[in-house]
Amino acid sequence: MFANFIGKSQTRRKFLGSASAFAGLGTLSSALPGRALAQGEPIKIGFLAPLTGPVAGWGKPGLDGIQIWAEWINAAGGINIGGESHMFEFIPYDNEYDPSKARTGATKLIQEDGVKFIMMLGGDTWAGVQPVADRTGMLFSTLLNSDLGPETTTLLAPAESHPVYNVTGVDWLAENHPDLKTAVMCAQEDALGLPSVATYLAAFEAAGIEMLEDPILFDPAATDFAPIVTRMISGNPDIISLDTCYPDYVHPIMEQLFQQGYGGQVISCTLDFYGQIIEKTSVEFLEGLVFQFPDFDDPAMNQDFINFQNPNKFWDVYNERYPGQWGAVSWEYASIMDIWSAAAMEAGSVEPEDVLSTMLATGTGKHAFGDATWWGEDLFGVNHTLLGNWPVVRVEGGKARIKEFRSVPAWYEKHGEILKKHMRAYGQMPDQR
Amino acid sequence: MRSFPGRAGVWLGFLALLLLLPHALSYSQQEILVFLTINILLVVSYRLLTLTGEWSLGHAVIMGVGAYASALYTKELGIFVPASMILGACTAALVALVLSYPLFRMKGFYFLIGSFAAGEIIRLLWKRFREPFGGPKGLKRIDPMPDFDIAVWRFDFFEPVSYYYFAAAVVGFSLWLMRRIERSPVGLTFHAVHWQDKLAEASGVNVRAYRTLAFVIASGFAGLSGALLAHYIGAVNPNMFDLELMVFILTWTIIGGTATIYGPVIGCIALTIINEIVLREIGLEQMRPFVYGLLLIVSVLFLPKGLESLVQKGLARVARAKRGEES
Repeated sequence: MFANFIGKSQTRRKFLGSASAFAGLGTLSSALPGRALAQGEPIKIGFLAPLTGPVAGWGKPGLDGIQIWAEWINAAGGINIGGESHMFEFIPYDNEYDPSKARTGATKLIQEDGVKFIMMLGGDTWAGVQPVADRTGMLFSTLLNSDLGPETTTLLAPAESHPVYNVTGVDWLAENHPDLKTAVMCAQEDALGLPSVATYLAAFEAAGIEMLEDPILFDPAATDFAPIVTRMISGNPDIISLDTCYPDYVHPIMEQLFQQGYGGQVISCTLDFYGQIIEKTSVEFLEGLVFQFPDFDDPAMNQDFINFQNPNKFWDVYNERYPGQWGAVSWEYASIMDIWSAAAMEAGSVEPEDVLSTMLATGTGKHAFGDATWWGEDLFGVNHTLLGNWPVVRVEGGKARIKEFRSVPAWYEKHGEILKKHMRAYGQMPDQR
Repeated sequence: MRSFPGRAGVWLGFLALLLLLPHALSYSQQEILVFLTINILLVVSYRLLTLTGEWSLGHAVIMGVGAYASALYTKELGIFVPASMILGACTAALVALVLSYPLFRMKGFYFLIGSFAAGEIIRLLWKRFREPFGGPKGLKRIDPMPDFDIAVWRFDFFEPVSYYYFAAAVVGFSLWLMRRIERSPVGLTFHAVHWQDKLAEASGVNVRAYRTLAFVIASGFAGLSGALLAHYIGAVNPNMFDLELMVFILTWTIIGGTATIYGPVIGCIALTIINEIVLREIGLEQMRPFVYGLLLIVSVLFLPKGLESLVQKGLARVARAKRGEES
């Protein structure tokens, strides 16, 4: 009778799991199976990112990218773990960039789907997931290393060293355009925008570029960028920095800059879907804009030190399937999977603890843009960021072109104290966060 | 007298259903159940505010006031979590009392816009002051409800089942209180202020005082729902209580209906199931804004009194059938 009430979809095991929570046996903490994969069993990986809402531009293209990656790996027979081949299966969960939904998603992926690793965008959503990570020991990745702290023992930033790599764009500009002497900046006031503001301020200071006024911080709910742009261009700056604005902000800001007749240099962390910006402005207007995320059909991506597999082919397949959707994160989750699967093969295990210790064992790793080191103790309290080279990209003739790969650690070596000063001013040091 | 055992039986059955419900759900559905329970308190408190005829756009922020206050009481002052939740609710009520002075100089549309502006000011304060509000990142590592044992039962409030029972008890008691308030002379006066404000005023009712009272009480319960949320997920930030959440509250209320206490509850449950289970299961999360918009239009066109009107019609039909059997 009671079994009928529970319903067909409710297994006895699941019910006992729930009941044990009532009885206090702690189901989530015992959720990690800790068992070897059965022969032929697919390796399940969670994808916990915003797929809807204003931040979806940094979730959905990444999901599309890892589906291509999985198809390629699976077509080649999967990966070898302990002498057996295993395919990949990605399980997405839309967290809507909401901490409570991210928590629900993390528990679902761990408890019900049995994933071995969860990739996240991070930011505001990490706060909701952190207690789940603490409780389960699940291995997570973030694209925002400002999520890292001494207490985030199972969180890694293997693809993006955001926002630290932004220094390379400013550094390149200062070296190649010494006539640019003044700058202004705007950013959304949130967990993503503020550490990036501190980084750009440090980069401008290190490059000897004067800030004409304090960064203009706007509410993430802002939709009217005309007054912000008017204020930015009123001082006639040589450079306008768009910090790490979401695509939903970059596009209207660029439109406003175009409409209000700005003709100076623009630097931005991302320039996702820039073809759409060109359609609304002009090729000439975008000429010379500097940002940090390359198109993977760039010839510079074929250099020997690049660790991302078949970047040109990846670009072709991606654009064939999702025309005009290539963005900053299209390749990043795939590159994280390269690093994770290499560690899993070496460890002969897919268990979070084994993969994590193998990844960090040598202190170095194969980042998409070249060999890198696990870094971050100084700034984030833990060496969980894979830091190395990062490309400086410039729009030329309506196409993004890599101008140079610059070493982020080399910049930090020289100017680290300036960065720490600005990070502290914006409350971004580990002890302040 | 004859109907009493029947009614008691229905309530006992309902209680048993609530107790057994989480065990019929998957783990992630249990998580959703916790958030649904908290949202029920939020939306019913919103209905209490609308009893006087005023619709606010600041209710989500008021929920946040309770969440922030309760989190800060535990983090900064070390107050026991359940006590801090009550204090968080009181703080939300107090903030509403302060806001009511300028806001109730306005009525109708002006009140609506004024409440939105007041809410945005509060949100901006949370963002602006890293001390004590944590700035844009908000507050993290908020103390959870402390675990405890009763005989062989251990309540680990990280687990959704345990927290669901706790939240359900708090929400159930709150709903009972709000129902008592609505049925009391004070509640009847709320209705009078809504439908016959000039007549009520002419009869000596201080209309503004009653509007303020409804606003303060509703805000207290909204603050309590925020406190429940904060101590479950362990983090709060200003974006969690933005206009998007307010749109959800309005949608739940409009689709459910406001004539009865169960109207918004039905709206909240129905839309949460559609949003969190149906759309996710069929992989149409990206259609959410479209689905919500469509449901809202359909509801306004074909169910102007909300989903509760369907329940009322069903109950009336059952009552008629019962009367027919008796005669």
